[in-house]
Amino acid sequence: MQSSARKFRQKKWGRSVGFGALLLLGVFAADYLAQTCVFADSDSPLKETARKLAERVAGIPGLRGPLRLEWHPDEHWAEGEDARWRETLRDEFARRMLPMSDEAGAGALSVYAQQTPAQLVLTAKTRVGDREEVRIVAIPRAVLPPVETTVRPVRLQRQLVYQSLDRILDAASLSNNADGELGVLLYKNFEVVVLRLDAKGEIAQTVSLNVTGLKPARNPHGELAPLGGQVSVQLWGKSCDFSWDAPAEVKCRAEKAFSLEKSAWRMGTVLTSPCDASHWTISGGGNDPTAREVLRLMPDGASEESSATVMSEFPGPVWNVNAGQSGGSALVVARNLQTGNYEVYKIMVVCGG
Amino acid sequence: MKSTKSWWFAAVSAAFLALPFGAVQAAPPRYGGALHVKLRAASVSLDPREWMPGSPAAADAGKLASLVYDRLVTLDDYGKFQPALATEWTHDASGKNWQFKLRLAVHFSDGSVLTPGDVIAALQATLGRGFEITGTENAVNVHAARPAPDLLEQLASGRNFVFRAQPDGTLLGTGPFFVADVVAAAPTEANPAAVKAARMKFQANENCWAGRPFVDVVEVTLGEPALRQLFDLQVGKADIAEIAPDLVRKGRQEGLRIWSSAPRTLVALKFDDALTAPASDDLREALWLALDRDTMANVLLQREAQPATTLLPQWLTGYAFLFESPMNLQRAKGLRADFSTGVVGAAQSLRLRVDAQGDLFKLVGERVAVNARQANLWVQLAMPSGANASTAAVGLRLFAWHYDSLSPRAELEAFVKQIAQGGDLPASATDPEQLFAQERRLLEERRILPLVFLPEYVGVRATVHNWNASAWGDWRLADVWLEPEGAGSAKTASGAQKDNSTTARNPGARP
Repeated sequence: MQSSARKFRQKKWGRSVGFGALLLLGVFAADYLAQTCVFADSDSPLKETARKLAERVAGIPGLRGPLRLEWHPDEHWAEGEDARWRETLRDEFARRMLPMSDEAGAGALSVYAQQTPAQLVLTAKTRVGDREEVRIVAIPRAVLPPVETTVRPVRLQRQLVYQSLDRILDAASLSNNADGELGVLLYKNFEVVVLRLDAKGEIAQTVSLNVTGLKPARNPHGELAPLGGQVSVQLWGKSCDFSWDAPAEVKCRAEKAFSLEKSAWRMGTVLTSPCDASHWTISGGGNDPTAREVLRLMPDGASEESSATVMSEFPGPVWNVNAGQSGGSALVVARNLQTGNYEVYKIMVVCGG
Repeated sequence: MKSTKSWWFAAVSAAFLALPFGAVQAAPPRYGGALHVKLRAASVSLDPREWMPGSPAAADAGKLASLVYDRLVTLDDYGKFQPALATEWTHDASGKNWQFKLRLAVHFSDGSVLTPGDVIAALQATLGRGFEITGTENAVNVHAARPAPDLLEQLASGRNFVFRAQPDGTLLGTGPFFVADVVAAAPTEANPAAVKAARMKFQANENCWAGRPFVDVVEVTLGEPALRQLFDLQVGKADIAEIAPDLVRKGRQEGLRIWSSAPRTLVALKFDDALTAPASDDLREALWLALDRDTMANVLLQREAQPATTLLPQWLTGYAFLFESPMNLQRAKGLRADFSTGVVGAAQSLRLRVDAQGDLFKLVGERVAVNARQANLWVQLAMPSGANASTAAVGLRLFAWHYDSLSPRAELEAFVKQIAQGGDLPASATDPEQLFAQERRLLEERRILPLVFLPEYVGVRATVHNWNASAWGDWRLADVWLEPEGAGSAKTASGAQKDNSTTARNPGARP
């Protein structure tokens, strides 16, 4: 009986330790993810800012509803973001006994959203009697959720598969399967890191290359070439190999052929159409780091000016393109000029319009 | 038929002309070459400790200092603070205690290693009182006497660079370049009456922790007249040059590539202390109402400036739009009518001295006098000249204030101390609503009357690539690369190589 109770306690203790470890792992993973990725559904900073502003407005002496919300975003504001902000503000005001109304007779409550270099400033202005009241709150721009990218209805299907605050040098599919795992080559705080993402886009493994003798570069470019469980990474002046099973054993060697000046991404990447097995060549635009880039897909034998060319605009400059092992898709690394994040898109040629 | 042919010809010609632009291929960045930069300032001190907050000279110095020194953190165009000499940072809930973990194996241009002691010495001198900085093995702790939630904004801007002061007064930096040569302005041999401009030469730091810059050399010529700079850009003697606001239109008409920043300079009037007594309240209010800022910005400065009704610009605070244009000539005349005849500005004219250097500011001063006259106020321009110019009794001063900081609180505080001779702002001024209240209070005193905001204009040659300056005027020259040019470029590049042997003996920044 005693022994069974002890066993039960041990089992219970074992379960607690296991649960605690899992919880700790979860906390670390969440912290790491929070540092490296920003997800579009992380609305809490938005709600927190709206709550702060609503609290201050609700504290204005003599202010009574209903009020008519007038929303004035600045020119940096992305299309499609308005509805989300208006709705959140309405909810927060209503929660503080300040009902909103669209009636022309309701008192105006103007809310202005203005960006400064580091902050988003929300200003509420209204009148109470002959008195003008102003309430202002600010939030660091860095904590705001990224703007959701709109995809043009083109025959080039694309899907945002990963985004990071850190510079993404390259991305490669780790399997022939279209929905398989992904390898991502990051330049994180002047260190080279390879991530293995599972099919859900979550980080399954992180390998820090610790390349000794790698000179820091202002235009870091690299290429990731996975083959089975092995991965080859080509960097400026170095190339490294490792296996996912033994990530601590990274072998690097000097690589003369890949000079500092090499920075053009894989030109002439070819995709195969699933409809008729025709080949489409990807080409880029200019090299302006401040402009959105348009990728062109040209069918065999066509020129860039051909009407058959399919175009797709990315939210910033394209840094790299890597064709999948199957040839049916490619991964495009671009920088989003709206958010500053680096993004990986999967592109595929699809049949029809 | 003739018409059809012409259209066809036109279409083919257009397609042919468009081809080189449409079919541009991504060219890799190129290392090498000399970047020629022309600035209007006649001299520049690279010692951040000597910079006067708000002075236009500090702005030019800041641009060159960022070639030589680094900061703990930088701010990118997306509102995110990026690690520089600090790789991580944390702060407590009060915002008073910050810790910055330093990047390992960062070297100064002479090869010595950056230590926490260097960071402490530099930042203690630039952040000034109110901050106590201590260090551990590979981190520095910043303790602020009052909450400093805007410390990252402060560290990412202004004079808060990290440097090491050498015993001989030279400053060393860890930045992408080091000072290779400084030549002071001197009379030319051919014509002793003419002055040869001062020059500074910055050599690429091969071992910069953030990567070698693309260009080999940045050659800076100081004190070039505005028109000469424009001409140098046109003939290829300059790659990057400041453009005076009144020459921007001319530059654009001549096809120059001109970049402009957010408004970086405030042009404003300040009443002398003698005129800040309550007896002069109506005079100050009348002039405030009489000033036609829209005409100054749009006509006088040809839309290259913005009317200013605040001390801090909209891009910095996000709330400046709340201050509306106060111009009301009728009310100004009404106030003037109530003046007694003995008041300055009524029968006796008010003397306006233009403290800011340059013809443009003189023009603005003349416009102030015109606006005042429209309200029956008498303002007389008194240009500073002669030995006793600065001590001569005047009533109004026209000055220029250059924005240095990315923290609106720090900027307003510096402005208040320097211009309004005030003290620290309350600790609560880090809250934008409190800052707005402080600024409104200052404006309501009518001692300082904002006139216009001026952006910074820079001409950039087409051969300069990756010009990606920040809206607040950080030029980021280490990331710029040059398109190869025939023999001219090769000659310059070889010249730079030749100079290597002499420059290596003279690293760092000479204050």
